[in-house]
Amino acid sequence: MSDAIPTIAEAARQIAAKQLSPVELTRACLARIHALDGELHAFVHLTEERALADARAAERAIMAGGPKGRLHGIPIGLKDIVDTKGIPTTCGSKFLQDNIPDTDAACAEKLAAAGTVLVGKLTTHEFADGGPSFDLPAPPARNPWNTEHFTAGSSSGTGAAVAAGLILGGIGTDTGGSIRGPAALCGIAGIKPTYGLVSRAGVAPAAYSLDHIGPMAWTAEDCALMLQALAGHDPRDPASASRPIPNYTALLGSGIKGLKIGVIHHFHEVDHKVSEGTQRGITAALATFRDLGAELREVQLSPLQDWAACGSLISITERAAAYEEWSRTRLGDFSERMRSRLMLGAFVSGVDYVQAVRRRRELRAELQAAMAGLDAVLTATQPAEAAKIDAVPKWDLFEKPGFMMPFNIAGYPAVSVCAGFGAGGLPVAIQLAGKPFEEPTLFRVADAFEKATPFRSQRPAMTSVN
Amino acid sequence: MPSEINDAALDYLLARAGLNLTAEQKAELKTVHAGLAAMAERVRKPRGRMAEPALGYGFNEGDLA
Repeated sequence: MSDAIPTIAEAARQIAAKQLSPVELTRACLARIHALDGELHAFVHLTEERALADARAAERAIMAGGPKGRLHGIPIGLKDIVDTKGIPTTCGSKFLQDNIPDTDAACAEKLAAAGTVLVGKLTTHEFADGGPSFDLPAPPARNPWNTEHFTAGSSSGTGAAVAAGLILGGIGTDTGGSIRGPAALCGIAGIKPTYGLVSRAGVAPAAYSLDHIGPMAWTAEDCALMLQALAGHDPRDPASASRPIPNYTALLGSGIKGLKIGVIHHFHEVDHKVSEGTQRGITAALATFRDLGAELREVQLSPLQDWAACGSLISITERAAAYEEWSRTRLGDFSERMRSRLMLGAFVSGVDYVQAVRRRRELRAELQAAMAGLDAVLTATQPAEAAKIDAVPKWDLFEKPGFMMPFNIAGYPAVSVCAGFGAGGLPVAIQLAGKPFEEPTLFRVADAFEKATPFRSQRPAMTSVN
Repeated sequence: MPSEINDAALDYLLARAGLNLTAEQKAELKTVHAGLAAMAERVRKPRGRMAEPALGYGFNEGDLA
């Protein structure tokens, strides 16, 4: 096989045409892992033997009767807060170093049923919060575009592994940007689906009412292929939506002429002014959308600070409740950063929490009204290129507000895609959000953008050394 | 929530939360209290008593069967 790292869509076509063997594909991923992960720390646990056995089984089945779907034989990884039967699931924490679940999380089960090949478990911030931490059992993941830089988190290993081609796709989770943030800084695609679309059963909570599970991959099309396998009602998740599941790739390639995209300029130009490189990426992206025939409109929402305050109060409180028992009895066993977040729970009263949830309803209604007549809205994903990994502020929560939390608060789907390269050759990104359950439209817009721009042809330099 | 917090109030809140902190941790936590107080103030709006919170979950078909 070629040394080029295929996308899921490309690999699926080649596998179906019997031009690519799942075993060769898996071996190529494992070779890259052995060559690069000593520096990247994207994996906390490799399942090499299982991966090769699954790849051989996939190959036999495909040779006998063709692939059962487009994920059959595709090497993937799971964030290490996703329960995996018989495989360690540590949540990046000292608390769970010996934890071996006896069942798979719903998302692990669904990806396995689709025929994917599980290569291993991926680095996460402790219980999907805080980070980067250097006082956990495993080191933090590093950015493949420059390993002195941060990946963002908390799906840090998934971002690094996909960008470096160690896997073709992976699972992330997103409470305030933990899929889209690493996707942006690692130069890949990642979608936080509509709240309730993908079951959270068997995934460690960060903040119950803000938690989402979703795919991360090199392209939006690959994310669509993964979401096809992941979406669907699950009675084990009390927030699981009961909706018909559309074909997420049906609108790809149909162009975006006439689609209406709202631009929330004040988020990234006033409320939290982004870096020059990020602004250049956004400005160029808007020109691309105009060239593709989309109509751009100005959108005005409450200041980003309002969304951040609402989301932070909810997130702090729900996390403190989820981990209260260990906080009371073994606080010192958490990493410094996770401990600091948990301590904040003492400051938020019950009334503060309810006021935040009342504000949530108002903000969601505001977004709903603003999106009437629009197909998507656009803003930044991250304020700047990746910081140095040892220069990430511990209390970033109180610094300038992030761009991703508004869509966790609202539960609306949002995707991050690479929009070029800024300072130091590091990736920059745009974020597109859609109406609830309108993921097909989001994929249509994101895919059109990726195909109209050259950024998907460039991988991190470290991947070409082997 | 007032933006400043004194030691007695901090000790009360930590005791209520069941958290045992070192003097150093308490001192650090005091430095971010104002930030959290500002967030709590920001979500308070003149909305009246009838304004309800967002509901966590909706009813699914299965709940109605």
